[in-house]
Amino acid sequence: MSRMFPKLLFKGISGLPAARSSRNASGSIYHNGMKYSTTVPNEPDTHDDFKPTNKLENSGLSLKEVVEQDVKDNPVMLYMKGVPDLPQCGFSSLAVRVLKHYNVPLSARNILEDPELKSAVKAFSHWPTFPQIFIKGEFIGGSDIVLNLHQTGELKEKLKDIAVHE
Amino acid sequence: MEEMGSRVGGKVLQLSRASRMRTKLQTALEASSLEIEDVSHQHAGHAAMRMRENNNAGETHFNLKIVSPKFEGQSLVKRHRMVYDVLADELHSGLHALSIVAKTPQEIGPNTK
Repeated sequence: MSRMFPKLLFKGISGLPAARSSRNASGSIYHNGMKYSTTVPNEPDTHDDFKPTNKLENSGLSLKEVVEQDVKDNPVMLYMKGVPDLPQCGFSSLAVRVLKHYNVPLSARNILEDPELKSAVKAFSHWPTFPQIFIKGEFIGGSDIVLNLHQTGELKEKLKDIAVHE
Repeated sequence: MEEMGSRVGGKVLQLSRASRMRTKLQTALEASSLEIEDVSHQHAGHAAMRMRENNNAGETHFNLKIVSPKFEGQSLVKRHRMVYDVLADELHSGLHALSIVAKTPQEIGPNTK
């Protein structure tokens, strides 16, 4: 199913401050914070688990502000384990599968890459587990809730004005 | 599965997380029906679990089905939050993921469509 609209699904988060994706003083890179279907690994021999934790400390934005910005700028924002094309957890995988039924741009951050971001997201939503899904700024919940909203038709309603018409 | 039920940890008989969860949910939410299933084994190898394998073997992932009159009039998000609030200590001590089905007695009643 998702093969039908490969390009549109993973829209980049272009509106975020450039500083976040640029090289900072210590030379580490945040890898744009997000991975998309088109992302090529920067260092082929570096597995996600072993990458240095890239902090957002030099971006000028606090992590709380980063999350606020994410949620504001991205109609569908996921904080998940892994990336949409390679979820690292069954629940994250389920959330992605459900959302892929709708022709909407998904934006995602991998919280396994940044423990501090993970804490910031938890504090922001007051929700202890991942994935977490936000639609048009509204906190939706985790995979159980997304699946439930999908089954009742409420998800379609929420997403209808952001669906990409071809 | 060895992590189910009570374990004898040397000298102390330790209650399993599942039974602690049961007591807390029963008390706080007056659950009329409660099913707790430990599915930690299904997640044993996954990325986040490898790091904590030695800390807290098992008892990290649960499926929970709970029926409570306290869910009446509450959204799904709110119901899940109520469960998470009750289990806050468990979530801070290694409970990693919960799949939650939260219903009111009415919703599961014989009159439900």
